[in-house]
Amino acid sequence: MAETGPLHDRHDSPGAAVRTRAVLSESCNHGYTRIVVSEPDTGTWVLLCYRLPREPSTPRITVWRKLKRLGVAQLADGLVTLPADARTREQLEWIAEEIIEAGGEASTWLAHPTSADQERTLATRMADTRAGEYAAVTAEAATAAAGSDRERQRTGERLRAELRRIGRRDYFPPPQRDAAQAAVRALLEADPDEESTAEAAGQVQP
Amino acid sequence: MRWATRSGVHIDRAACAWLIRRFIDPQAQFVFVADPARTPGDATGFDMRGVDLSHHTGPDGAVDCSFETILRRHDLADPVLWRIAEIVHEADVDDERYDAPEAPGLDVILRGMSMTCDDQRIIELTGPIFDGLYEYHRRAMLLGREPA
Repeated sequence: MAETGPLHDRHDSPGAAVRTRAVLSESCNHGYTRIVVSEPDTGTWVLLCYRLPREPSTPRITVWRKLKRLGVAQLADGLVTLPADARTREQLEWIAEEIIEAGGEASTWLAHPTSADQERTLATRMADTRAGEYAAVTAEAATAAAGSDRERQRTGERLRAELRRIGRRDYFPPPQRDAAQAAVRALLEADPDEESTAEAAGQVQP
Repeated sequence: MRWATRSGVHIDRAACAWLIRRFIDPQAQFVFVADPARTPGDATGFDMRGVDLSHHTGPDGAVDCSFETILRRHDLADPVLWRIAEIVHEADVDDERYDAPEAPGLDVILRGMSMTCDDQRIIELTGPIFDGLYEYHRRAMLLGREPA
């Protein structure tokens, strides 16, 4: 734990970052230059850099599934990223821990893309992936719309849960989101008779 | 006894603090650190990297959140606590291992509180919430159905 010395603090509070920088520029700069320190006008991203043995394959698959679920953008083999906030940072830190427990190597980083262009490319790529997921929901809803009331209700509920899952990893909502939400809402707007029957059957009040 | 965890408390840490104070150490005092390396020497760390009372992967590849780990390490077999563990797990890890419809709501409440309260205050305020959750599920288990 000793290696997570004062430098580590830079990420936790702006005050500490300024202090650390002041110390660095006054004494030894440890290879940092003022140019490196100047902040680009882009957001902060959290990066997970990892390596896991090929075998056994189970931990690799588990980790990949978790990363997919979080909606990470892959930058390179074993390098993924998410826009940084308290939740995304924590999630990637836990996955890093898991990778280490599974015998792999992992580290997490906070970084800024050095140009707004790079950031836009990354955000667009992530939005495109989400757009595909939303489009799949819209298509499924369209298919179910032709079915029976019961089928519409059941598919509607399943797709609503799916939308919630997609929403949780949607950091740059694409226009396709609205269409998907509308399609699922339409499926669930069953005729009022059925809804009141379901309510009467489901709620047993003393 | 002193207990330390990361600052910026969310569901797992809030639930652990409640669990510790209710079932393990009534006199527990909590310290919040930005960096696990700054944990005071006399404090037991939980829910942070590099300590035992934290997330762990089981032999079946499933991950336990810190709340579940504390239950295991302290041999707390109370089924009501394990029901709460399912809720905390889903609110924290969100891997659909358990069916816990309370989880998304609790997650949002805690995320919102992290915007309006400091860590000590969150621990204070969430204590009665977990007390209520415990009582609700205790009665539900005794009755075999939803209470009141």
